[in-house]
Formats: sequence, structure tokens, C-alpha cells
Amino acid sequence: MMKKGFLVFLTVAAMAFGFPFSAAAEEGVTDKEIHIGQWGPQTGPAAAWGSVARGTDAYFKMINADGGINGRQLIHHMFDDAYDPAKTVAGVKELQEGKGMFAWVSGVGTAPGLAVKDYLMNKKIPWVGPSAGSLHWITPPQKYLFAVYPLYEIEAKALVRYAVEKLGKKKIAIVYQNDDYGKNGVQGAAEELARLKMKLVAEVPVQLTDSDLKPHVMQLKTSEADAVLLWTSVKHAVMTIGTSAAMQFAPQFLSTSTCSDFPMMMSISKGLWKGVIAATFAELPDSKSPLMAKYKKDAFDKFAAKDERWGLFYYAGIVFSEPLVEGIKRCGKDLTREKFVSEMEKLKDFQGISGKISYKPFDANDPFSRQGQNQTTLLKCIEGGAAERLTDWMTIQ
Amino acid sequence: MNMKRVYYEDVRFFTSGVVFFWFVALLLFLAAFPFLFKNYYVYVANYIAINVIVAIGLNILVGYTGQISLGHAGFFAIGAYGTLVLMTKAHLPFLVALPLSALVAALFGFLLGLPALRLEGPYLAIATLGFGMTVTQVIGRVGFFGGRQGLHAPELSIGPWNLSTDRDFYYLLITITILLTLAARNIIKTRVGRSFIAIRDADIAAETMGVNLVFYKTLSFALSAFYTGVAGGLYAFVLRYIEPEIFTLLRSIMFLSMVVVGGLGSIMGSVAGACLLSWMDLQLRNILNIPYLGEWLKTLSQSFFSITGVSNIQFILYGLIMILIMLFEPLGIFGIWIRTKKYWKMWPF
Repeated sequence: MMKKGFLVFLTVAAMAFGFPFSAAAEEGVTDKEIHIGQWGPQTGPAAAWGSVARGTDAYFKMINADGGINGRQLIHHMFDDAYDPAKTVAGVKELQEGKGMFAWVSGVGTAPGLAVKDYLMNKKIPWVGPSAGSLHWITPPQKYLFAVYPLYEIEAKALVRYAVEKLGKKKIAIVYQNDDYGKNGVQGAAEELARLKMKLVAEVPVQLTDSDLKPHVMQLKTSEADAVLLWTSVKHAVMTIGTSAAMQFAPQFLSTSTCSDFPMMMSISKGLWKGVIAATFAELPDSKSPLMAKYKKDAFDKFAAKDERWGLFYYAGIVFSEPLVEGIKRCGKDLTREKFVSEMEKLKDFQGISGKISYKPFDANDPFSRQGQNQTTLLKCIEGGAAERLTDWMTIQ
Repeated sequence: MNMKRVYYEDVRFFTSGVVFFWFVALLLFLAAFPFLFKNYYVYVANYIAINVIVAIGLNILVGYTGQISLGHAGFFAIGAYGTLVLMTKAHLPFLVALPLSALVAALFGFLLGLPALRLEGPYLAIATLGFGMTVTQVIGRVGFFGGRQGLHAPELSIGPWNLSTDRDFYYLLITITILLTLAARNIIKTRVGRSFIAIRDADIAAETMGVNLVFYKTLSFALSAFYTGVAGGLYAFVLRYIEPEIFTLLRSIMFLSMVVVGGLGSIMGSVAGACLLSWMDLQLRNILNIPYLGEWLKTLSQSFFSITGVSNIQFILYGLIMILIMLFEPLGIFGIWIRTKKYWKMWPF
């Protein structure tokens, strides 16, 4: 009995104080190691995005297997926050104050990210590539926060431009989720159409909880739109297409990178997603690009769990960390946070498996000094969920 | 030996010198806490304190009055949003905005108490559940409340003090928590508390004895909502950012499980339940870092529960611990506490 009690005590003590301090010139950097933190939901409502963090993990393992960066190994600390900001804050503080992270990478979700943003920025800890396309990261821009995810406005502009100029569509409408995300889409589409001396023929808001989209589709049908932008969640995008098919309304549907994981979209929509055009921010899973092939072979095949899928979310974890790795590389042996920031600011047209990424010296009045990627590419969903690439990387201002 | 003969003996706070000693020891420990532990643990303590307040409030309703609520995340949200909106839009100071928004929560509690006069058990559970979910939906759609983008907490200063760190906020939060805990304990010992208990034990009998059911049932809801509203307002400053998705049904269930695991109808139990479950909520994932055991759990999880083995296992453990407590000690942690207390009655004196 006594022995058991002692074991329990040890376990609790290990849980409570299991984190040793590490002393170094810069927090999170030793001669052999660089500590990078990341949160990502592995459980809870957003668990599907958990693969982002696992992608980063495999990517770091690949780099370490290749000898690390300037002789240092990347030590990846990822934790599950179940998309609950309270847990995100807890985990970030625990790792930061316990082990000491040099920088943070990715981090899924707007709410979890916003809950820790001030904490990281006040401590002047670099954070690269929040995994959510939100204006929050760059308004106002923060010296230590480098956004990678392209803004949804850019995608809207690219899609509208393609629909009008390449497909000759005359009447563009949009279905949008009634929030930040959806409104960014409306704004981008409206701006691009204004440039082309046109207007949106219908703007139909969808609430997160709507479960019947017939009225919405009716509105689209009455507007006689020949192209419809879907700026909604995956669920509503699929519902819109399904309802439209039932109501014999067949415009060209165009959607965001959120819905660009075609194999998944095809399976949810039971094949209706075929023919939809979507913007995306990274290469395709079966891309011929040599870098993509290397990641697939050396990161995914070697380090991913058995049932993992080589999908967009998974290698998005690589996309968001590529600039971080590049910045650390450029710092050389002498790695400090200030040096890292100044090296990041020198990134110009850096390209991994996403569009080109550039930053500028920090300017509190210029959000784009911290918005890395301004390129997108368009895909069309074809038979079996495969994708046909329609355009090269398009730069949108 | 231990028979109480007069009312004042029953309400007396320090029943013996031992109790007084431990109470002072606890206060000293709480005061020294931020200096003994890393900042991270201060954040954890803040998180726990918030849940303690909610659990006590919910226990007044569930444990003492015998009603049920699956909608306390709604009151929590009202408290949080109310405090931030009153501070940022109406420019009220924190110490005014917090009780005001808690009163708003109490008002909603009173309103929700009205259907509770007719509803019981599962029907009441569904009604309150509907309330909790409605609040989140409404807040999420109204631009004034920041919609889905949520709200940021403003700088917090009280008088000359600027409470910007977890540590600063800790002292405010702990003070409020202690005051509310003592208040709850006292309320239960008064006519009001006895009426609650009478309603719980047999509402018809209580009514024939002269307990006004309408008044006391709605009062219980309002009081419970008030506590939860205060906790919500404070929570907004622990996180410094709130959005509707934080206040989900899952949170309501979490609150309820704290009360049940802690022990129904016991203030001490609520404190213990809230401490244990919030601690596990934040810390259980570290079980994977324990040598050998962590590795083993990870492999177990990988083979049966998730491809990643990252953390699903912690939820299974979490559930397991709760089941074990309920199985072996239906009175919850409070039951364990009573037995321990009997055993160690006079220690160390």
C-alpha cells in the first residue's frame, strides 16, 4: 500500500515538475538544439486539422535526419489544445516558461492563436505561419509575427479574375459565411469586379448553423448567376452544391483553399464536387515539383504514422514552417531572435512548396510587411478527386 | 460530544483551533503561491479558481436545490461578454462592470428559473441545454459582441494598480474566490439555504411547510447564475480574449461533472472537484512525458485509438478517473474527504 502511494506521488511529481530548465545564450537554442513549439488540435471539434502539426513534425524530423540546421537539431514540441483557447494558453505558457521555446510555428485556429498572440508578442518571441487566413495577424502588424497563409481576399480576386477573363462569365454571385472569413471573400470579389467594371449579382449570407440552404440557392438562381463563389465552411459548400443540383441550377462553382482538398471534398459530396474550381496555397499532392517529391519521400514516407494521408492539411504543416526553417538557416551559427527577425525581413520571393513568400522591414503602418504569401494558384476538381492545375502561381496585390 | 445545540454553533466558521490553524495556513499558502511557483502555474491556478467559482454556483443549484442545468456555459458567456462590453463600450471600471454583468446573468438565471417551476429532471436538463446553446448562437451573430471574431479584453487597472500579469490578476481572483466561497457557505446556513435543501429533499413537503417554491427556485437559479456570471467576467481576463466557441455545451457538461465528482451538496466538494478536474484538464496530457509509462500509453493509443498517439489517451484516462471516483465514492471527493478527516482528526496536534 505504502509503495503504491509512493508511486502515485512520483507520478504526480513527474507531471508537475517534469520540465528541466535549459541555459543558453538565446532561449531555446543550445549548441545542439533549437526548440520550436506548436499547438494543434488532435482531439475535439477541429481534430481534422491536427494533421498540420503532424506534418510539421515529420518535416522537422526530415531536416534532422539530413543533419539539422547549421549543426543543430530541431526539437519540435507539439501539444494538443483540442481547439480550446484555455488549453492553448496553458500549453504555450507551460512550454515557454518551462522548456523555453526559441520560436513558435503554425498553430491552428483563429481563436487559439488570438488567445496567445499578445503573450508571445510581449515576450518578443517569433511566431511564424499561423494556420488560419485571418487579417488579425497583420492588423496591426507585429514585429515578431510572420503570416504565411494567403489572405482570403487574394483568393477571391484570383477566382473572379479567372472566371471573368478566362471563362467569360458575366454574372458572379457569392455565398458567404456570415463572419470575418466570408466577408473577406465578399470584399475581395467586389474589389476585383469593380476593377473589371462589374458587380456581384447576389451576395447570400449563410449562418454557421443553417441546415437548409434551399432559400439561399433560390436567391442565387433568381439572380441568374453563371458563376458562384463559395465562401463557406466545407459543410455548407457541399450543401450548396447538393441543393443546387437538386434544384437544377448549374453555374460554375468556385471556392477557397479551405475546400481545396479534393479527395476529401469528393467523398463528402459523393462526387458532386467534380468540376469545381478552387484556389489553393500549395502544390498538389501528386505534384511533379522535386521539392514536393522529396518531402513525400523523406518526410512523409519515413516519419508519418501508418494511416496518415498525404493531404493538403498534412503538408500545410510543411508550408507554414518552410519560412521559419529558411530564416533559421540564414542566421548561421549565431542564432538569436533579433537576428532571426532581421533575416526573415530579408526573405524575398522565397519559394518552397507554396507561392512566393516575401517580407519587408517592419513597418507598423504596412500590414504587408508581415504578410508573406501573396500568391495563389487555381485548381479544377476532376474525376476521382484528382486536380487539374489551371494556372501558374498568380500574384495578386 | 459533537452535538450542536444552538444555531450559532452550526453557523460558526471555526469549529476548533485545528480548523482555524489550517484556514490560516491555506491563506498563507495562497498568498505565497505566485512566489513559490512558475508563472505557468499561476495561470493554472487562475483557471482553477474560475472553475471553483462556477462549481460552487452550480452546486447551489444542483447539489442544494436539486435542480439541474446543462446551460451554465450560457451564464458564463453572459458574464464574460457583459464585463467586456460594459468596460469597452460603456467605459465602466472593472469592479462595476463585473457585478453588473453578473447581475445580468442572474436576471437570465431568474428567467430560466421560471420554466423550472414546471419542469423536472430530464425535461429541465433539455430546457437549460437549449438556453446555453441559444446564448452562444445569439452572441455569435451580433456584430456588437464581435460576432465570431470575439472580443479582446482591455487593459485592466483597479485604482492605482495595473493588473497586467497573471500574478497580479491572481491576487484579485483569489480574493474574489475566497469571498464568494465564504458567502456561499453562509447562504447555505441561513433560512435561504435551508429552503433550498428542503426543496431538494421534497418540494411538496417544503411548500406545505411554508417555503415559497416560486421564490426560492428562481432565487436558486439567479444565485447560481450570478456566481457563474462573476466567473465568466473574470475568465475574460484570464484568457484576455473571448469568442462564442469557448462557451460550448462541452463546457456546461464539464462544470456539471466538477460538481458531481466533487460531491453534490457540499461547498468543499465543489472546490475539490473543480481543482481536480481543471487540473487534469490542463495537465493530464503531460502524462505522456513520464518515462516508460508515457511511451507505453502512446503505443497503446496508437494501436487502438488514434493514428497519432498524441493525446486521445488523456481523455480516456480522464473519463476513467471520473468513473472510478463515482464507482467507489458516490459522494464524490467530498466523501473521500470526510473519511480522511475522520481518520486524521487531530493531526498534527
